[in-house]
Amino acid sequence: MNVIETADLGKRYGKAWALRDCTLAIPEGRLAALVGPNGAGKSTLMNMAVGLTLPSTGTVTLLGGMSATAPAMLQDIAFMAQDAPLYKNLSVADMLHLTKNLNWRFDHARAKARLVDLGIPLKKKAGKLSGGQQAQVALTLALARRPRLLVLDEPLAALDPLARQDFMGTVMTAMADDGVSVLLSSHALADLERVADFVVVLGGGELRIAGDTDELLAEHRLLTGPASEADRLAGLLSPIQVKRAEAQAHLLVRTGGPASAPVPPGWEAHPVSLEELVLAYLRPTGIGSSSASFPRTELTEVTR
Amino acid sequence: MTVLTLPAQPGQNTEPAHLPWQRMVWVTWRQHRSMLIGVTAVLAAVSIFLLIAGLKVHHDYSALINCRPASSDACATKNSSFNNADWTMGNTILILMNLAPVLLGIFTGPAVLARELETGTFRYAWTQGIGRVRWTIAKLTLLAVVITILAWAFSQLFAWFFDPFLGFEGMNDLAKTVFDTRGIDFAAWTLVAFTIGALLGMLIRRIIPAMAATLGVYLGLDLLTWLVLRQDYPVAIDTTNAGLFNGPSTPNSPWILKTWTIGNTPWWRYIPVSRFWPMQLIESGWLLVLAIALGAATVWLVRRRAA
Amino acid sequence: MAIDKEMSPIEFRLDPSSGVPTYLQLVQQVEHALRLGYLKPGDQLPKVRDVVAALTINPNTVLKSYKELETKGLIEGRPGQGTFIKTTLEQVTLPDLATLRRTLMSWLASAEAAGLDEDGVAALFTSVLRDFYKERSGANAPATGGARGVEGIA
Repeated sequence: MNVIETADLGKRYGKAWALRDCTLAIPEGRLAALVGPNGAGKSTLMNMAVGLTLPSTGTVTLLGGMSATAPAMLQDIAFMAQDAPLYKNLSVADMLHLTKNLNWRFDHARAKARLVDLGIPLKKKAGKLSGGQQAQVALTLALARRPRLLVLDEPLAALDPLARQDFMGTVMTAMADDGVSVLLSSHALADLERVADFVVVLGGGELRIAGDTDELLAEHRLLTGPASEADRLAGLLSPIQVKRAEAQAHLLVRTGGPASAPVPPGWEAHPVSLEELVLAYLRPTGIGSSSASFPRTELTEVTR
Repeated sequence: MTVLTLPAQPGQNTEPAHLPWQRMVWVTWRQHRSMLIGVTAVLAAVSIFLLIAGLKVHHDYSALINCRPASSDACATKNSSFNNADWTMGNTILILMNLAPVLLGIFTGPAVLARELETGTFRYAWTQGIGRVRWTIAKLTLLAVVITILAWAFSQLFAWFFDPFLGFEGMNDLAKTVFDTRGIDFAAWTLVAFTIGALLGMLIRRIIPAMAATLGVYLGLDLLTWLVLRQDYPVAIDTTNAGLFNGPSTPNSPWILKTWTIGNTPWWRYIPVSRFWPMQLIESGWLLVLAIALGAATVWLVRRRAA
Repeated sequence: MAIDKEMSPIEFRLDPSSGVPTYLQLVQQVEHALRLGYLKPGDQLPKVRDVVAALTINPNTVLKSYKELETKGLIEGRPGQGTFIKTTLEQVTLPDLATLRRTLMSWLASAEAAGLDEDGVAALFTSVLRDFYKERSGANAPATGGARGVEGIA
């Protein structure tokens, strides 16, 4: 079952398209990372997925075909917006009570135990907690609803490294314990390779690429070889990105699969990291770029 | 050994489709506790004042009208002291009372939705299981009912407070400034002010601008009612009988809405004092319909709102 | 912290800079532990949940490595109980290990004498290692095994 499916999904504000032609399918049980720079359309996509915004074009369905605005969907999907919105003048205990009242399913005991474990005082007003604590409270509230899909909009942006670790630990454990699927957006790529088994890359309001992390990494190669042959090879292989210097050039290509790409003689093939892959899709430079349009760049270190 | 499979989730959607409305009572109370307590406290404080001042006013007025002989200096002194002290205070409070509905509306209506939008908490509230439509309907209804009841009670106390002045000034309770502060009219205007505030809060999405806009819209509606709508309530009578309007103005005099002439004959449109309650019902009636329409519009906006 | 008898004998760690995929690191650590005798048949592997909590990695990754180990015949799952070691790998006895270590040390000394620095030694070793196992297992030479290397003609 696909936990999120979109077909030509688009959203327009006035004349500007925040997102368009987005078609993807995210299978269940994964942690899908939605990556891209600010303004790429990540929040727009998420808002449509959780029913806060209506699409301008296309459709988005969840958990095997449910409409994003169906009442049943509200029960099964928990959303944590950016900056972990809580009611600042309510205490943590009040927030628990509030969330319990607003939902059918709410594991009050577990949520309370978790917060006590984390050392978060229940009587304290939510606005007086630290950023990391607020994020943990918001996450705890979301998970206590026992959702099937957890959607997190830039949850780590305002957190220090320790708070990030704690936060992601909670998310991962929830995946292991309850089998919840996760969609998480981030504009930071570090550590995503460790946690994300599905990647969606958005840039400039477009879907650049999406797929299973392992499959994507297996399908892409960085070819390094003489700059003189770069154009010819680029013409044959339609690389995602070309980087060239005086003597050497790098082409990031997508192959049919790990074993099917023969390496051209005189060239070397290296695997790519998730970070390289994402960056390449965010700044693609295909064939037709002459060396004059590129400044002489330092070679990216690709061997290890 | 299971691999990469989703652990079985129990069958979903076995719960009934909607949460019971009672849940929203706690939610509304907890979220708007400060606002409700604040409004109640202010009204209570003013009420205590009205009670104390009203007792004095009633006492002074009673002494005044029972003063014998009526043309003596002593009675004249009582008259002028009532005029200077009690009436000045009474008049001031009357003016404030006319502003009370919009003030109540401003400090209760916009905050309901605009605060959620301004602080971003709507992203939490509208993704909870209850759904944003039910959430909005429940909140607006609960708050509206409470505020309207408080307003009604308050206006009853004020009407009692102000009654002596009707006699003293020969004022008619059909006069707009008085009419609006008694019966069910005050409560209805307060309700409308609240719903205007809620709708503008949803449209403008910022509390302070919404409050300002609410004031403007309300005053516009108030003016419209006074100058235009009231002329055409179906309780008025058109007559050429000038004799009705001779004599000093007393609280029982008919209330003139407008005059015009056809040919050489002067016409008057007036409302007899006996039609006070029909007029209250008509005005409160359309105000109630308006409030419901504004509330429905607010809910509709919430439903289709883009994030 | 008292040692919980229910805990697995081993604990995983990750090397994020090694270039080896996470799931493979876990597989290698189990195999390594088997070789060195830290794990014996009947021992329990860490629960998926505990690995996830300790390392902050995706549970599917852990499941994938356990699946790989199961495919290799090294482990088995007992429903309701956990994942356990089934067989053992050829264990290298400690005296043999010590001998191998000494041999390697002296080889390294010769390499240094010949002018190879650390990176040079690593590159040479990786290349020969690859060739050695390529011969042995035919097509079974994934590019992602071991340290990140270079395919094709250098």
